[in-house]
Amino acid sequence: MISNRTISNLKQGLSSSLLAKLGVVLLVLLVLMAAFAPLLATHDPTRTGSFSDTGNPYPPPGFDYQTTIAQDGEFEQVTVSPSSDHLLGTNNVGQDVFSRFVYGARVSLVVGLLGTALAMLIGVPYGLVAGYYGGRVDDILMRIADVMLAFPALVLALALIGVFQQSTINVPDPIVMAGLAEGMPETIPIPGTVTIVAALVIWVWFARVTRGEALSIRNQEYVKAARGFGVSDSKILLRHVLPNSITPIIVLATIQVAVIILLEASLAYLGFSGTTLSWGYEIERGQDLLRTRPWIAIFPGLGIVLAVISVNLIGDWLRDALDPNVEGTERGA
Amino acid sequence: MSIAKFLLRRLFQGVFVIWGAITVMFGLRVVAPGDPATLMLGQGATQELIQRVRVQEGLNRPVSVQYLDYLRGIVTGDLGYSWQSNREVEAMVIERVPATLELAIAATLVAIAIAIPLGVISATRRNQPADYGATLFSLLGISTPNFWLGLMLILLFGVWFGVPYPRGLRIAFFGPIPYPRALIINVIDMPTGRRPVGFLDAVVTLLQTGSIGELQTWLKHITLPAITLGTYFTALITRLTRSGMIDEGGKPYVTATEAKGLPGVLIRYKHVLRNTMIPIITVLGLQLGTLLGGAVITETVFNWPGLGQRLIDAVGTRDWPLMQGIIIFIAFGFVTLNIVVDGLYQYLDPQVSTE
Repeated sequence: MISNRTISNLKQGLSSSLLAKLGVVLLVLLVLMAAFAPLLATHDPTRTGSFSDTGNPYPPPGFDYQTTIAQDGEFEQVTVSPSSDHLLGTNNVGQDVFSRFVYGARVSLVVGLLGTALAMLIGVPYGLVAGYYGGRVDDILMRIADVMLAFPALVLALALIGVFQQSTINVPDPIVMAGLAEGMPETIPIPGTVTIVAALVIWVWFARVTRGEALSIRNQEYVKAARGFGVSDSKILLRHVLPNSITPIIVLATIQVAVIILLEASLAYLGFSGTTLSWGYEIERGQDLLRTRPWIAIFPGLGIVLAVISVNLIGDWLRDALDPNVEGTERGA
Repeated sequence: MSIAKFLLRRLFQGVFVIWGAITVMFGLRVVAPGDPATLMLGQGATQELIQRVRVQEGLNRPVSVQYLDYLRGIVTGDLGYSWQSNREVEAMVIERVPATLELAIAATLVAIAIAIPLGVISATRRNQPADYGATLFSLLGISTPNFWLGLMLILLFGVWFGVPYPRGLRIAFFGPIPYPRALIINVIDMPTGRRPVGFLDAVVTLLQTGSIGELQTWLKHITLPAITLGTYFTALITRLTRSGMIDEGGKPYVTATEAKGLPGVLIRYKHVLRNTMIPIITVLGLQLGTLLGGAVITETVFNWPGLGQRLIDAVGTRDWPLMQGIIIFIAFGFVTLNIVVDGLYQYLDPQVSTE
């Protein structure tokens, strides 16, 4: 499955490539930031500022962001520039941009990893069955996969968004529950719909890659021998075919994490994510204030770029070290 | 198998895939929550009215009958009516196609124009500063979400390109346009109230009056969106060109042509690059979907009056007939382009087996 040679290839790849090292370091930092978000955040990321007229973060009726921004002192108090209190300033409703940047990593990484895992759960068995049985079964299953590939990823995601009710799952935050971080939100909203939609869009790549592997492995001597001994198909698939096709699946999975992070950001930017705690959504909020308050849109964007770069670099490293020549891994986004 | 036979088979597969795509979209509408008649009429509609619309739209018939009816409609070019605007979906789709097409073509041209020279330079100056620069650029290019890139470009160059407003160009359609006129994109710069400018429009003006003003305006409008949409492809093609040139450059025939005394530039561009084009075209074919998906987002950022923006509106209002129409159209275009790319592939590399 994972041989010593593979491991030494990986090590060599890591020590000889500066970019691979950079990717690993970046990802470790991002994961740490996401894990310890409540300890790193300087403010409750959901706490808004308020206008004294209305007592809420939204300006009084008739307030025109574009024309009154410079003169309106109230708005100045809600949306402040970077300072020692608010490291990266506050957004259009007075929430701390730095704290939302830190928390945004959680949503991005969780959706990326969960979505990929879910896509593997659908795509890998699908591909195993298609490739192992071949013939008519393979034909039917792969024609269905072809249909899924007729839709650009984002377009299919938008269609699925139309079907599912947008929902978020509020996951309790263990650090806050343990009382280690005062005043931080007790739960993290994970956009469940987006995770499922991403998996439904991405799985077909896993199906194709796994199928290709299974197709070549099923005619190997050891598989034939196992079949001759009367070992059941499900056992052969799990014990022989799957472990021997795992390398390209891992490389593909790494790159799909980046794809899903970008997909989640895009859907959130378009307002279809169902959660407001997302880098993509922050960019949407910042775009109308781009000229006068660029920090609202700049920093969450940097977060996305860093997350995607780190995952892509790790994907490149794995691909070069394991050299599986996987279809579908050329896509970086 | 001959090329004609191969293409015929691909065409047959294409028809099957498009039928599948139509079926998927129909199925999604059937399982989608919300009663269509209520969505059409809005919340305040009376039960009686809802019932009447259900009968009128044939929504009370069995799903299988509705499905066959929908298929029949598509074959005859009838995609139904939008629930929101009550206009014919096919007209709403077609009038938006030129804008998206212009953007996609411009983005592809930007990508090819930058990426291929960059890739060649990167490969010939391997491990030199120029190569590191190109590598870093392509890494950033494939990792940057294009909506953010678009906003950053507006922030940095907006003023320069006469973008007067923080969010994009504020371009908007001037109401529905009759069919033939839709071939010429009608784009209007809202703050200045300038006349619509599309590429064909600008060219026609140039031919009629000899004035290049229109063309300049068009160029100003399309530059930033084209760069935004094209960056991912620029990055991807740079990567592919570089690795392809390096692989190909090590082959014996290159040494032979060098020994023959052919100038390096000629070898690089005539022989090596040409052989590198084949994998590039394959990947580009696979990536057309990303281009179309990227267009959806880019259009939103720049308020570009294309199909993508209309799709976002349709999803937002759950206007299923319009959504279905646009998505089926995109799938159709995507599948057709892929067949074209396959044909091109055959043409470029006669060695490729058509089996």
